[in-house]
Amino acid sequence: MARIYQVPSHARGWLTLAIIATSLPQLSDGPWWQSGLLLLVLGWRALVDRQRLALPGRLVRLVLLLATVAATWQSYGRLHGPEAGSALITALFALKYLELVSKRDAYVLIVLGYFVCATILLFHQGPLAALYVIGCLALLTASLAGINYSDTHARRRQHLGVAAVMLLQALPLAAILFVLVPRVAPLWNMQLDSGQARTGMSDSMSPGQVSRLTESAELAFRVQFEGQAPPPRQRYWRGLTYSYFDGTTWRQARPPGWSDRDTVYGGRGPQPDWYRDLRAADSGPAWRYRVIMAPSQQRWLYALAVPFTDLDGLALARDLRLVADAPVTGPLSYRVRSVPAAGAGATLDGAERELMLSLPEQGNARARRLAGEWRRRYRQDDALVRAALDYFRQQPFFYTLEPPPVTGDTVDRFLFDTRRGFCEHYASSFTFLMRAAGIPARVVAGYQGGEANGDYLQVRQYDAHAWSEVWLDGRWQRVDPTAAVAPERIELGLRQTLRNLGADQDGEGGGAFNRVPLLFQLQQWADYVDFNWQKWVLGYRQDQQRAFLERLLGAVTATRIALALLVAVLVTTALLALLVLSRRRDDPTRPLEREFRRLRQALRRRGLELPEASSAAVQSAVSGRWPGAATAAGHWRRYFEYLAYRLDQEPSGGQLRQLARRRRALLRALGR
Amino acid sequence: MVRNAWQRWLDRRLPRARQVRLDQRGIFILPSGYGYLYLLVAVLLFFGGINYENNLILGLCFLMIGLFVVAILHTYRNLSGLTLRAGGARSGFVGGQGSLEVVLIARRRGHRALWLRWLEQTAQEVSVERNEETGLWLNLPLTRRGARRPPRLRVESRYPLGLLRAWSLVALDQVCLAWPRPQQGAECPARGGDRERRPAPAAQNGSEEFRGLRGYVPGDALTQVDWKGYARGRGLNVKLFDEPASGRLWLRYDLLEGVPVEQRLSILCDWVLQLSRENRPFALWLPGAELPPGQGDEQRRRALDLLARHGEAD
Repeated sequence: MARIYQVPSHARGWLTLAIIATSLPQLSDGPWWQSGLLLLVLGWRALVDRQRLALPGRLVRLVLLLATVAATWQSYGRLHGPEAGSALITALFALKYLELVSKRDAYVLIVLGYFVCATILLFHQGPLAALYVIGCLALLTASLAGINYSDTHARRRQHLGVAAVMLLQALPLAAILFVLVPRVAPLWNMQLDSGQARTGMSDSMSPGQVSRLTESAELAFRVQFEGQAPPPRQRYWRGLTYSYFDGTTWRQARPPGWSDRDTVYGGRGPQPDWYRDLRAADSGPAWRYRVIMAPSQQRWLYALAVPFTDLDGLALARDLRLVADAPVTGPLSYRVRSVPAAGAGATLDGAERELMLSLPEQGNARARRLAGEWRRRYRQDDALVRAALDYFRQQPFFYTLEPPPVTGDTVDRFLFDTRRGFCEHYASSFTFLMRAAGIPARVVAGYQGGEANGDYLQVRQYDAHAWSEVWLDGRWQRVDPTAAVAPERIELGLRQTLRNLGADQDGEGGGAFNRVPLLFQLQQWADYVDFNWQKWVLGYRQDQQRAFLERLLGAVTATRIALALLVAVLVTTALLALLVLSRRRDDPTRPLEREFRRLRQALRRRGLELPEASSAAVQSAVSGRWPGAATAAGHWRRYFEYLAYRLDQEPSGGQLRQLARRRRALLRALGR
Repeated sequence: MVRNAWQRWLDRRLPRARQVRLDQRGIFILPSGYGYLYLLVAVLLFFGGINYENNLILGLCFLMIGLFVVAILHTYRNLSGLTLRAGGARSGFVGGQGSLEVVLIARRRGHRALWLRWLEQTAQEVSVERNEETGLWLNLPLTRRGARRPPRLRVESRYPLGLLRAWSLVALDQVCLAWPRPQQGAECPARGGDRERRPAPAAQNGSEEFRGLRGYVPGDALTQVDWKGYARGRGLNVKLFDEPASGRLWLRYDLLEGVPVEQRLSILCDWVLQLSRENRPFALWLPGAELPPGQGDEQRRRALDLLARHGEAD
């Protein structure tokens, strides 16, 4: 069997199309030289097919291969890892096309194609990306069907038809496998370092930082509550706390000498004291919800105060926030139970208390003086806090997205000179004042609010917010000075506030959509689809699968899953086999015979039995009974006979449609 | 031992017949080499999906597996319902090749990219569309004289995706005759006529007497056609000659005494060919069989067949 099985020419088109389609996403994401390479290969192949050029020799191919590897190294600095790997495999895919001669080459090419499809899904995970990959798979399958049918008069289109039918039939099986095949934890750790800088919170806060976020309508996360959602003014999504201030910037910090072990508990090892105290105070009403994070490339997560989770892949930090074990690079969802009352279990002693009171040695003298004055006047901490809020409320402070820049003693300048600021200015100066007055305080950064869409909330970057927490009555209490200045920010959300202020300069992002209700509606729908996609497809992980299967099967045991999988696959396959192998689908009659049969059946329904099956008999019988339809019957008969006896080949689709039109005209004529 | 058991099992399951319709009794199906590679890729994607915690890559893997299962059905379907019928046969000499015709009949559906071969032969590819019939001539090497029954015919298909190969081993009840390999003999083992055992090589039609013309019948030697008359528009006729005065020439098996059986037949075969080439009438006598005198292609074929079948029970 030393024959070389060539790739038939009618399969080549699909193969070429499959290569272009599967490479396209990588070409748009990757370095420029990849497009150049593909164009070179396609051009070369086109010339070879027109016999203008020879196929490249071994040396040329080797040089191209080395150049590709070198270019990948140049672009990514390495050859492994998802990005470099995707680039390399896409380039190899193109190169393989250059040396495509035999069927074996085509098989290798198609196998590479499956890998390229997988690399598309590494970086694009929306519903559209999934559809696109199914399209690529259809093209690859059409190529397979083409190379396995080397008959010269095979038609190009039928390959795609075969592929489409088979893919459609494969979909239910794929769905069953998707739902039932148990998800296991990663066997080894692979992180995507898709160093795309994302907008979002950062681990420090200086003036102007949060207000920049408000320019973006990008999604930060979504929340789905079990039962009632809290009202907007209680939706403070805590992400980070800043406890160290250097005069300009607030940063995350922990007391000197403390390590991760003292501040974070991830469910492994003995429970630290602070965690046990919190658990002990775990009582009273709770919010239960699921958060679906957009990739943030950061480890911190967002939740309402005192979040408890199953600590699977996440950890609870001492400052009452959640931290992921690894930066969130893909869609991540987690279930939270927030118990506001559990805050009573928090402690603040020694080094930590000192940190929460620490201020720079010098600077902002006027603010310190004001704090000292309050201290003298109010013995009680809570009275002092109220006085400070009153100060913000009564003095002419303004809430604006574009505060004048301040330098030097930023707190003093803001409190006494400009008095125009955004939430970070208020949070920062309020916390400063509290510390100066001897009340432990810290800045909390996160998001506030969220828009309802269907049964879930969308929290976007422009919901970013900063506020303060002060240590009162043995627990951390939230104080939001922004609410004192601009209460509507908290009640209505940022966009509404800005609109009321007449300062809606937010031309891009979410702002533009508001003016066009239809677009806004479309955007909401798209987001709804995206949410469910995230929740049910991308977020269908171990715990969700477990919950879902529990509802489906009663209890989740290995035997039950295996049995369900077996039964579902077998039943579906049996149904598919009935569909594929049924006799009905292989109707042996030709299209013309079917057309004739349809007319006879229609006439029978109108009470005309035709014992003799010929077109002439039809015409005479119809004309005899309905003289008004004689002309139409003649038209039909002439065309039928033309197609049946005059034509050398099978009638085309257009001719058959024409005949069907004449049949319908004939039937209409009967009614008249 | 195992092979014999396998053959016996096959014979029970797929008995030899003039016409065979492929169904679930006769179709076997297994992944092809590429199919295994495809499954390997799917498994690799599965691990990739697990490790990157990427549900869409897992979905791609599951879709590929679904496609594989669907491909099983479609590959099976491509063979199922195909009818094979034993067609004509072309005999050949031992050492050469005969060929047998297999007629493929597609009733309910088309059958595409079918590979047909006797075991260990080069395959031929053919497609039959619905309601069509196609004849395919398959060569068969002939190693032994006599009626040769072909081995089981392997009908294989990988259409549509090449992931699986479905095949059947069809035993068609057809026979290819292997004529003896011609061997030059020193003397003509003939009796009759002028008792000269060796006819003059230059013996020409002149030594016979022209008797007249009769209408051409298929099987007549073309050398005997009256071409001149045909050119003049008198129709296709055959010139008839009287038997030479010397009488009929009988090729006789028993005149080659002391020569082994196969060699005798080979020598007789050679003479049959030579006499036919010279367009001389001859008759053939074998133990238990006899061919009356005659000439032309038909006579030659009959003589060769008789030689081929010599010694067979039937």
